Amino acid sequence: MPLLAFAVVSLVAGTAGNAQGNPKLSDAEVASVAVVANQIDISYAEIAKKRSQDADVLKFAQTMIDDHSAVISQAASLAKKLGVVPKDNDVSRQLLADAEKTKKELESKSGEAFNTAYVDNEVAYHKAVIGAVEGLLIPETENAELKSLLQKVLPALKAHLGHAEMLQKNRKK
Amino acid sequence: MDSKMFSGGLMVVLALFLTTGCTSTGDTKDDPSAGNPAIQPKSYTVEIAMMKFTPSTLSVHKGDTIIFVNNDMVTHDVTEQKEKAWRSSTLAAGNTWSMVAMTSSDYYCSIHPVMTGKFIVE
Repeated sequence: MPLLAFAVVSLVAGTAGNAQGNPKLSDAEVASVAVVANQIDISYAEIAKKRSQDADVLKFAQTMIDDHSAVISQAASLAKKLGVVPKDNDVSRQLLADAEKTKKELESKSGEAFNTAYVDNEVAYHKAVIGAVEGLLIPETENAELKSLLQKVLPALKAHLGHAEMLQKNRKK
Repeated sequence: MDSKMFSGGLMVVLALFLTTGCTSTGDTKDDPSAGNPAIQPKSYTVEIAMMKFTPSTLSVHKGDTIIFVNNDMVTHDVTEQKEKAWRSSTLAAGNTWSMVAMTSSDYYCSIHPVMTGKFIVE
């Protein structure tokens, strides 16, 4: 399992925090985790755009940049409206730290090895983020509008996962 | 003409205008002239929201107009699946695109290929 996906799963299954075993997050911290999780996938896509020459991989990477940028824009607008300033926290810091390791791993590969590593990471990352949004961020969010935004983002994450799995399957043929 | 008959006639004209005179912010319209002249073309709306086309299956008559409305937060398109025989412009959030249905088609979003739909021309 890629490092970042492992980190997200570990955080969702963490022991410090509330009764369900999740870390306790304020809405400002949930907003920060949501923005960071989207930024991380954009950063992976930017590496793909530099290192891949595969048309399908490049198209997927551009979709990740466009969609996750749209989500960040919606989250930023909502945070502004609600007067919430995203606040760094253990979860967002851990995500960023592990993303750095994954980015180094991706940047060390080229050609087909890169394409495989990128697509595999996208499958694992989206699975982990979907798990984190469903199991951590939505339950932790108190504000109804922020919770609603997270619920609206889930179908996009699931469509991205389905798309990444299609690429993964096609690459194994 | 009695006033009730006049207002009834006006309503019919208005209804016909509403069902046939829809415009779109998209830029593609097929030729509706091959439709059956005995049947007045209708307009149907397919909503794109939560990464789905709704309704995912639509039954129409030849010459009917289908309006796709993107109510999602991300950009989509509508592309004929089998032969890529037609495709919409890129639909940013809030945009619409319309086409005149001539033959039954399976379609998908080429940006998010897991999103699929179909219309059946009866």
